[in-house]
Amino acid sequence: MLNIKKNTENGKTVFTLEGRLDTVTAPELEQTLKESLDGVGELVFDLKDLEYISSAGLRVLLTAQKAMAGKGDMKVKNPNEIVSEVFEVTGFTEILNIQ
Amino acid sequence: MEETKEGAVVIKLSGRIDSGNAPAAEENIRRTLEGKGTCPVVLDAEELAYISSAGLRVLLHLKKTNPELSIVNVSSDVYEILEMTGFTEMMTVEKAYRVVSVEGCEEIGRGANGTIYRIDQDNVVKVYNNADALQDIRHEREVARLALILGIPTAISYDVVRVGNSYGSVFELLNASSFSKILATKPEKMDWCVREYVKMLKKIHGTVVPAGKLPDMKETVLSWARFMQPYLPGDLGKKLLSMVEAVPHDDHMIHGDYHTKNLELQNDEVLLIDMDTLAVGHPVFELASMYNSFVGYSELDHEVIKAFQGFDFETGKTFWRKSLAAYLGTGNEKKLSEVEDKARIVGYTRMIRRSIRRGGLEDERAKRSIDFWKEKLIGLLEKYDTLLFTRNELEIEAIPENLPSVESFVEKHLEENDCPPKAQMQIGLAVEEIFINIASYAYAPEKGNATVRVEVSGDPITVIITFIDNGIPYDPLAKEDPDVTLSAEEREIGGLGIFITKKTMDDVSYEYRDGQNILRIKKQM
Repeated sequence: MLNIKKNTENGKTVFTLEGRLDTVTAPELEQTLKESLDGVGELVFDLKDLEYISSAGLRVLLTAQKAMAGKGDMKVKNPNEIVSEVFEVTGFTEILNIQ
Repeated sequence: MEETKEGAVVIKLSGRIDSGNAPAAEENIRRTLEGKGTCPVVLDAEELAYISSAGLRVLLHLKKTNPELSIVNVSSDVYEILEMTGFTEMMTVEKAYRVVSVEGCEEIGRGANGTIYRIDQDNVVKVYNNADALQDIRHEREVARLALILGIPTAISYDVVRVGNSYGSVFELLNASSFSKILATKPEKMDWCVREYVKMLKKIHGTVVPAGKLPDMKETVLSWARFMQPYLPGDLGKKLLSMVEAVPHDDHMIHGDYHTKNLELQNDEVLLIDMDTLAVGHPVFELASMYNSFVGYSELDHEVIKAFQGFDFETGKTFWRKSLAAYLGTGNEKKLSEVEDKARIVGYTRMIRRSIRRGGLEDERAKRSIDFWKEKLIGLLEKYDTLLFTRNELEIEAIPENLPSVESFVEKHLEENDCPPKAQMQIGLAVEEIFINIASYAYAPEKGNATVRVEVSGDPITVIITFIDNGIPYDPLAKEDPDVTLSAEEREIGGLGIFITKKTMDDVSYEYRDGQNILRIKKQM
């Protein structure tokens, strides 16, 4: 399951994701993002506690990236080995700003 | 006329009862019952040719004074009147039974409670061993109806007849041939028989039975295990009992006597017969009786099976092993032997108990069988601690909501085989992508099932997972890979699932065969 923590400070919003971002949990994150991207200048996803991501999760990140285009920055931080590998094989390492 | 049997007064009715003689008939009956209070009354209608409404009123009056009223040996004509007027609902009415002879008839099936003969081209009769079988017949008819309603193709009896001193129930069974006969006469049909037999078995085991409708097989097996206590050395009796107790309750159907004489091919349809042993319970109980039918009963004397099934021991054994492999969804010999052993524990327990109860300990030949089974049972009880096993195959409705069930089914097999966590994650990822694809597209807008089969072999650990659906033919591998060099703005949302699968698995293959999409992924550690 997925735990979403949101922290906003000075126009910078950090989402800390814990658990699994998959078909079952991705709609939840998508909904949360839809409701909170207005006026956000910097969007950060902290993935240090994210164990797993599937294409459903990638789709949400891609949607967020597109939504942020022209509005501000989006960063992805601390992905674990499994998640990094998924980013790599799908070319997401080129699309996302991963730190 | 009057005879008294087991406290009931039996009164014979004869000829016609109509408005002309009804008052006299009533008077006669009254006189017979004088001073007997509200005793049960049985009206024997063997010689009753006709009853009018005036006669029916006599029955009504009698029902008021003597509520335990039954009418037996009713001819079809009189039965029709009683049924039309609703009297069959008010009192016990038993038809006169047609007499049928099975002399010279072909025996086509045999179960725990009776033998099935073909009486003519279209009909068969099941003759019950128990002379007082009306209860059994009613039970079998009820469970057959239940099975039919729950989607199991079966024949339902339409008539009860007398066969010698026993009762029989008559079924329509056209041009049918039992699977035993097919195996005995057309050995080249072995694989086809295995396929159809296992298909039906999975259908039975996939059927949820409403609570209380069928007996719980676990209770029966517990009683066998209790019976065995004094006959097993040391703590093995206790161990057997606790192993049966540890089998979780299961509300899925089991047939209870599922061998090839009880499966019929009628025209192109496969029908299950001999339904009186239907129960609910864990599949290990079913496998136990299957093992006994094909191997266990004939393990010591290989000729036994020939008389019963019509084919030889080797055929039975091959059929059993192939069916077990198809049922479990694996060809892994170690796994097959393990599940077979667990089935044998229950199977031997049953055979030993049955033989002892029939006085087998006093009969030299029977005693030899008991000792033979007992020795095997003791060895197995020393080797195993559980009767539980998992099938390598899961058939489930292909809807996204079922993803967690599919994932935990796969995970369980991977964990059991010490698959490294990273590979488990990657496989989990592929499973999600593929199952969600099937759930979203294979049957849309309808719904259907998907089968997921997991096979793990060792050294180096290799995992093969097969996904089967009967949806529209679709080869996900034929799709071009997404261009992963494009920027976020240019990238399309979607189309990544199968790509991730291809990149993280060692092999992904697709074929369309027999109306099925078969997608296979392979990962080697």
